[in-house]
Amino acid sequence: MWGAGLINGLRISMRNMLRGPITVKYPYEKLELPERARWSVTPKRFPDGSPKCTACMTCVKVCPDHILDLEFETREDKTKHIDRFGYEVGACMMCGLCVEACPFDAIEMSHTYELAVGSREELAQVLLGDVDAATAAQHKAFKAEVEAAGGEGVADE
Amino acid sequence: MSDPRNDVLGVGLLGEGLHHPGEPPAGIRRVPTGVDGLTTEHLIINMGPQHPSTHGVLRMLIEVDGEEVIAAEASVGYLHRGIEKLAEHRRYNAIGTLMDRGDYVSGIHGETALALAAERLGEIEVPRKAQWIRVLLAELNRIASHLVWYGTFGLDMGGMGQFLYAMRDREALLDILEAITGQRMMFNYVRPGGVIADLPAGIAEKIRVFTDTFDAYLDEHDALLGGNEIVHDRVKGIGVIDREKALAFGLTGANLRAAGVDFDVRRARPYDAYAEMDFEVPLGTTGDAWDRYQVRMGEMRQANRIIRQCIDGMPEGDHTAKVSRVLRLPEGEVYASVESSRGETGIHLVSDGGDTPYRMHYRAPSLFALQALEDVLPGHLIADVVMIIGSTDIMLGETDR
Repeated sequence: MWGAGLINGLRISMRNMLRGPITVKYPYEKLELPERARWSVTPKRFPDGSPKCTACMTCVKVCPDHILDLEFETREDKTKHIDRFGYEVGACMMCGLCVEACPFDAIEMSHTYELAVGSREELAQVLLGDVDAATAAQHKAFKAEVEAAGGEGVADE
Repeated sequence: MSDPRNDVLGVGLLGEGLHHPGEPPAGIRRVPTGVDGLTTEHLIINMGPQHPSTHGVLRMLIEVDGEEVIAAEASVGYLHRGIEKLAEHRRYNAIGTLMDRGDYVSGIHGETALALAAERLGEIEVPRKAQWIRVLLAELNRIASHLVWYGTFGLDMGGMGQFLYAMRDREALLDILEAITGQRMMFNYVRPGGVIADLPAGIAEKIRVFTDTFDAYLDEHDALLGGNEIVHDRVKGIGVIDREKALAFGLTGANLRAAGVDFDVRRARPYDAYAEMDFEVPLGTTGDAWDRYQVRMGEMRQANRIIRQCIDGMPEGDHTAKVSRVLRLPEGEVYASVESSRGETGIHLVSDGGDTPYRMHYRAPSLFALQALEDVLPGHLIADVVMIIGSTDIMLGETDR
């Protein structure tokens, strides 16, 4: 019979109309992100607050968008001082290649997804500024500490 | 008017490479018809690139006589990003980010095509588990992509409800894909040698919940469009791309199978774990918009079946082969293709032995479908144009690259 399908369609629509909403009222309610969700890049730190970054430039080289920018000075005793670890979050596609490449587990893809800002300048984030880079000795001590506590050491290469 | 770029009809905007400046492009005729002694003229309508029913940034030039389409010309390139050229400056494990942005509704397929090409050239053995994970993700992504097609196909006909229901199911899929890969559409998950990470704990149960409910939801979707008599009247018999024409234009995927040609890359040239999967390839008969609808709905059912097999039979093992961080492929060239949501997505890689491709070609099935459209649209009404475009499920991201 012509029209039976239309009535059936209305029935489906009615059923959907009477069920509750399946969406949440953002920003009052927020969905939980899965553990692997990749959002803006953030630096990781040792428990004492100093950065894990050794200024090895690996992430800067692998970034397909060329949005990571690391300026540092090497002192006479081979330690490094990071002047500015810049990150253009507006151009980042959150592919995670920098985090995969980092040999010192010094950066991570955070769960910060509310990245809207009022002006274009604010998109140029400074991840680390005017701070001493981590040394191999620091990483070695941290690795020993973690392993002593029963955890897995950082994949050091 | 001397400069064709200033032509208000938009005909001159196509650029000088395609036709002689000042002359209308091939296929478009600007002739007075002179019906009943009236000086009526064919009208040239510019549709897109910002038209909501052109599914992206397709621009169509349509010459109409009243309501009837006399000639049509598709103009592509409004989403050109130079993916093929950019790939020449990316290492093999970073090209996946570009492939995601080619066919951006089913990124896994593009990534897999690239990974297969690199593996074939580098003779990398992919662990069995990685192959199964790829198949699982490919089919999840196929359903997600077909749901977008299903929803927008109805939107083109003026239906709104089914679009929202399709998005409801797609949301569940994207949540699963996000939990596995880390992002909802730009996955960057499949790499030469395998996949970047193993399946997270507890994901099998989530997928099982989806597959168990999806068959019932699919019946509901099919009842809303496929069971609707108005849709039958609108869709049946329009946009016919028959067997000869489909083969001549090089169509692949559901557009080809709707014409009754049994060609599916998963079956014809099995890759990953598809040889181990049990599934059917739905076929149409006449190749009209209705057949294309039926084939895609059938594909969703089959995809759901494959997902269930993947969950039940997921093997143990490594998720990736041992691949050096900077992958260098030997000199040579190779072509690898996958059955994506839209057809045969292929990657032709030419390597000169370096860590980046010397040249990469991206075979985009939508481009072939677009070329067929120019042949199919004449003779239809303007209202049918958006539906025929919708029924071929073109994706401008991969067309323009």
